[in-house]
Amino acid sequence: MRGRYPGFVLAALAGAALAAPAAERVPVPAGDFAPVVAPGNDVKTVHVAAFELDRRPVSNGEFLRFATAHPSWRKGAAPALLADGQYLAHWAGAAELGAGAEPEQPVTHVSWFAARAYCAAAGGRLPTWYEWEYAAAADETRADARRDPAFRERILAWYAVPSSRRLPPVGKTPTNFYGVQDLHGVIWEWVEDFGSLMISGDSRTQGDPDKLQYCGAGALAADIRDDYPILMRMALLSSLEANFTTTNLGFRCASGGSP
Amino acid sequence: MSVARRLRLTAAPLAALLALATAAGAAEPAQVHVHETEAPAALPGGSLYQLGVTLEPAGGARVPLESLRGGPVVVTMFYSSCTTVCPMLTLAMQRVAAALDEGERARVRFVMVSLDAARDTPARLEGFAADHHLQRPPFIVAHAAAADVRAIAAALGIRYRQLPDLSFSHSSIITLLDRDGVPVTRTAVLAADDPGFVASVRAQLR
Repeated sequence: MRGRYPGFVLAALAGAALAAPAAERVPVPAGDFAPVVAPGNDVKTVHVAAFELDRRPVSNGEFLRFATAHPSWRKGAAPALLADGQYLAHWAGAAELGAGAEPEQPVTHVSWFAARAYCAAAGGRLPTWYEWEYAAAADETRADARRDPAFRERILAWYAVPSSRRLPPVGKTPTNFYGVQDLHGVIWEWVEDFGSLMISGDSRTQGDPDKLQYCGAGALAADIRDDYPILMRMALLSSLEANFTTTNLGFRCASGGSP
Repeated sequence: MSVARRLRLTAAPLAALLALATAAGAAEPAQVHVHETEAPAALPGGSLYQLGVTLEPAGGARVPLESLRGGPVVVTMFYSSCTTVCPMLTLAMQRVAAALDEGERARVRFVMVSLDAARDTPARLEGFAADHHLQRPPFIVAHAAAADVRAIAAALGIRYRQLPDLSFSHSSIITLLDRDGVPVTRTAVLAADDPGFVASVRAQLR
């Protein structure tokens, strides 16, 4: 089989067989909310303009179709500046997912640059951190469930699951207030401005930039001190470089709004 | 090595021809970058020129970042309304330039890309460059689109965040790129000379 059909035919067949639903973007209305880490000493809330957010994270099947159409993003083809050596490491090859990556599972082992390229090709962009945090504050019935200990504990329970666990398919967690799924409980997600996280307003003085990044000033300034789920996410994102690819880090796209 | 030297001797007329062949070059002869014009070999995987982003230099036409390929580049990110660390960053760039002799300096580009895509228009940056005596060449003070600013900052490991008062909290890092755009070393020493960094720039000129 392998020898008789060129790779692109196999990829096309694989694409046709994928049951992964096309990315569905749902509207998230504008609103003011208080992010866990306040934007400034005297400014506690941010305004999030209305935008659209993918209902689910991007799946392996969807990403395979993208990589097939954009050969510079195939497994093994992306330059080191844009994706490290673990890019799509769980895939069997450039044109096939193989046993380690089901089409319906969220794609992981993708860099920020790769995620951005995908979203641009899908007519969108990565969500900003505030957009992500705003959408992720909702549970099934409330736009902002963050003060509810039960909501937080449910999210924290996922954090306790070993990262070696096989990732569930996308779209299986409860739909939240906005119609979005999987913001919690499945993977970590890239955001457009991940490089803006955990920099405190006081870091404009000269000093070791690495020290400034990780000194924890952001965490200390947090207004909701026990909102560990969000702080853990911020800590993780702030530790990344844009070409990193890791086992449980994927993404979803957004559009509209004012990024 | 002798091949490289011969190429260097032939570079000037070739560069002039290239300049005439492109609108950007024709409009900005002073910006022509005279370097070895080896056949465009594949870019190294770690090259910043993999980004495919565009710069809009103060007082100049838009150019691909990759147009800097061919010689060492000292690059940093700043914003013009910054009154705290950026003036030191500018001075640090000038200090590196001043540590080189004239011949060396002419073969290096000192690139300052603004983090403030919304407010640092090329016209405003032109005023900034004039105020700070950042002559082009070797200095290139540039605006880039917001999405490109994020990509350049990400590739350089520069973290930044705009604050409610529109100022920026940002890491202040100066990075040296080799002639193919691959980061070689970086420094965060702003208040004093950094002889090690200057030595690294010189090493790229050999």
